[in-house]
Order: sequence, then structure tokens, then C-alpha cells
Amino acid sequence: MVTAREENVFRFRTKGLLALLNASIACMLLAIPVHVQAADSEGVPLHGFADAGYAAHSKESTDPKGFYIGSFDLYLTPQFDNNVKGLIEIIFETTSTGEVATDLERLQMGYTFSDNATLWGGRFHTPYGYWNTGFHHGAQIQTAILRPRFLDFEDKGGILPAHMAGLWASGKFKAGDGKFTYDVFAGNGPKISMGGDSLVQAPGTLNINTAGDNNHQAMVGFNLGYEFSGMADGLRIAVHALRGDVDDDANLTFAATALNKTELSMTGGSVAYLENDWEVLGEYYRFSNKDKSGTSGSHSSWADYLQIGRIIGAVTPYLRAEKTKLDQQDNYFSMQESGQSYTRQALGLKYELNPKASLKFELLNSKFIAEGARLASSYRSLLAQYAIRF
Amino acid sequence: MKSTYFRFFPAVLLALSLSQFAYAADVVVISNSSIIISAGEVKDVFLGEKQFAGSTKLIPVDNAALQAGFLTKYMNLSSDKYNSMWTKKSFRDGLTPPAVKQNDAEVIEYVKRTPGAVGYVSAAPSGVNPVK
Repeated sequence: MVTAREENVFRFRTKGLLALLNASIACMLLAIPVHVQAADSEGVPLHGFADAGYAAHSKESTDPKGFYIGSFDLYLTPQFDNNVKGLIEIIFETTSTGEVATDLERLQMGYTFSDNATLWGGRFHTPYGYWNTGFHHGAQIQTAILRPRFLDFEDKGGILPAHMAGLWASGKFKAGDGKFTYDVFAGNGPKISMGGDSLVQAPGTLNINTAGDNNHQAMVGFNLGYEFSGMADGLRIAVHALRGDVDDDANLTFAATALNKTELSMTGGSVAYLENDWEVLGEYYRFSNKDKSGTSGSHSSWADYLQIGRIIGAVTPYLRAEKTKLDQQDNYFSMQESGQSYTRQALGLKYELNPKASLKFELLNSKFIAEGARLASSYRSLLAQYAIRF
Repeated sequence: MKSTYFRFFPAVLLALSLSQFAYAADVVVISNSSIIISAGEVKDVFLGEKQFAGSTKLIPVDNAALQAGFLTKYMNLSSDKYNSMWTKKSFRDGLTPPAVKQNDAEVIEYVKRTPGAVGYVSAAPSGVNPVK
């Protein structure tokens, strides 16, 4: 008889072997365009990112300590003709248990109608705020080591669907001296997987339903912005919204309640200033979620962050403050493992060894708020990261 | 000795200023004869913000021999920042950075034979549209 523990070990070993097999196949496939390019300048270039680092935490933290391998990210941007293009991104990363996991992060097929409109279909990064589509998985191009926690990827502590499978229209129009930008998208809404319904899906995390929408109700949203020029060149302000139903499949280990359905309704805005050796990023998210399966009504929550960096030659010191206030009566947050309210402050420094290699150091002070069944905790962390792009 | 320095530094600064002016001035943007690009559109073309002229797809090409002067004159960017912007553009929007040609002859040959091509050289030849 196979025990649950033995089954988990088998799962992890199988997952590791599958990941390595996938990695090998992907490398072989991706090596073909590189070889082609060497012989023919019309080939598809292969680019990517990689990072490794070190983490130390005060004793209150249960996060892994010591050296770690971050991620190895490969992407291709094939152009099929004047209008048809693609964007394919594959990532290999280690899990908290040390396994290598493979993920097809983005698989987008696009058609550019004009300078004003491109339509994408496939799996993409949901275009809310600035960070999610500004940095993607490129550790080397972001100043800080960590993303704001609430904006992290679904399996890393994020509380929003960072990825989406669906359609996405994007473009810019000249408006005055600047440019009006828009993103409009619709796709499969996520569900909250409580039982860990795949080898890589941890309980209490958002599953973005890449294989099909479980509730057949689309998630829709937009991000409308304005890019200034002239005296305010480098400044972009935008507003965003996201709406859709999110179910949780609470039937196994995390909770004994029946299936919950929540109408996720998020609005907010973002500001980014990236000029004159300043980097200022800020995003605000307000949630007005509605319990559609129970009687708990509507719930308000919010999350925000502000990051300020100053580029001084090769060195960029930066500060970031982030805060969330997430209503634990709201199933959307209470059922997510990372749906706890917190505050976090970061002080860091990025040193560019050259334009393609960076060394970063970051001090963090994290405090999690006691609410409902969740316990209070606080800890400090020291992180270091070496990140490259190619 | 001190007075020698005082005479030497202004002379060097003047020489550097003039050489920089001459360097930047000797870059002419050209396009394939099928399209017309204005000087005000050059920056958007080389940053992937403007991809079409009418229904013709624009294909910018860099000239390694003149890139520094071009980036200074038309883009107000350093080479590192230009490359960094393209890394982000490619990663975010799925665009391909301009191909890099090694010299004027390669750029001229490519621009002449490729509809939608836009490049820059030290002097505009016949058979292409100089950008004004």
C-alpha cells in the first residue's frame, strides 16, 4: 500500500524528472533557431534572463534560508510576416522544495493592424498596473529583487491573476504632445485551487485555468494610460479595472466548506516616472468583491505600493513601501494562502556590473496582521541577487 | 606650467565640442524610395513606436559605424540606454530590435532593396529618400 507521503515523494520525483525532460526538450527545440540564426540572419534570436541569490531571515520567518537558484527564463519573438508575430516565454525555476519546475509563462500570437492596435491571443501577463507587464519574469531589468508581494506570481504569494488565457487588444494613439495607451482584455477567470489539483499547484493559490474556464464566465478588464512628453517626458499615469467570478474548489484539505463563488471587482491606478535618473513606481488596487454563493455580502479591501529609486551612475539605491488591507470575510482572500494583510518596507541597492549583469542587495521588514484564523508574525530579511540577461 | 594647462584645456574642450558637432552632423537618415519619413518620426521608428507608413511595414536598421552619432543627434540616448530600451520592448511587446549593419555600404544596399527600410549613413546616395 502506498502512503500519502510516499505518493508525494513519487509525485515530486516524477515532477522533477518531467521538468528535466521538458527542459531538455525545450533546450533542444530552442537551440534550433540559434543554429539557424548563425547561418541565416533571418533566424529567430533567443534571449533570456537568469538569476541566483542568497536569503537570510530573522528566526521568526519560516521562509527558506541560504543560497538559491532563482529562475532561468528563455523567450522568442518570431515575426511571421508584416502583421503576424509571436511571443513565447518558457521558465525553469526551483520550487521551495528544491524541485525544478517548468512553466510556459507566455504563449502569445499577435496580429498588428496598425500602430494603434495589436490583438493578442493565448496566454499573457494580465495588463493591470505597471509592474506585471513592465518587468514580467525579467529579474535583471527590475531594480528590486522581489516584486511587491501582492503583485507576485500566483505561486509566489500574489493575490491577483498575474497570467490570463484569452484575448488582449493593445495600442497607442497620439493625443496632444503625449500618447494615450490602452489595453482591453477578456479571458478565463481563475479559480482558487484548494486541493492542489496539479503537480505544481499548491493548495490555496490561484489557478489561472489555462486549459479552460471552470465556470464559463469570462474575466474582463482594461488599463488606460497617458504617456506624457516634453517637460513631463517619462511620466505615465493609468487607471485599471478587472472583473470576473472566481470559484474555489474547497473540497479536500484546506477547508470543509462548500464551493464558494466570489465576484472579483478590482479598480485602481498606477503611476510610473522613469526619466532624469529617477525611477518612481506606484500602484493602487481597490477591491469591492461580492459573495455570490453565500450571504456575507460585499467586502472592501485594498493594496498599494510606492517605490522610489535614484540612478547614480552604475548604482541605484531604492526604497519601497507596500501595504494591504484584505478583508478576511471575503472568500477571495480568506481562501488564498497568501491573502493575509501585511505591511512591508524594503531598502535596497542595485549595482550594474555592465548593462546585462546586475548585483542587488535588499533589506526587508515584513509584518503580517492577525485576522480571523491567521496569526500575526513579523520578520526581517537580507537578500542578495545576481541577475543577468542575454 | 600652470598657464600651459590653462591654455591647453580650453583648446581641448573646443576641439572636443567641434568634433562632437561634426560627428553628429554627419549622420543622414534615409528610407526606401517607397516611403517618406519625417525627421520628427525617426525616434518613434527606431524605438518600435511607429511600425507602419501607410500599409508598409517599417524596418529600421542600425549602422554600427555611426550609431553613437545617430543616437546623440536623433534619439538623445546613450548606446546602453538604447539597447536596454529594446530589451524591454522586445520582452514586453514581442518586437524585434533593428538589425545592425556594419557600415554605410551595407545600410545603403539594404535600404535600397527593402521596401519599408529606414537607416542612417554619412551621406545620402541617390535612389533613396533622405529624411528631412
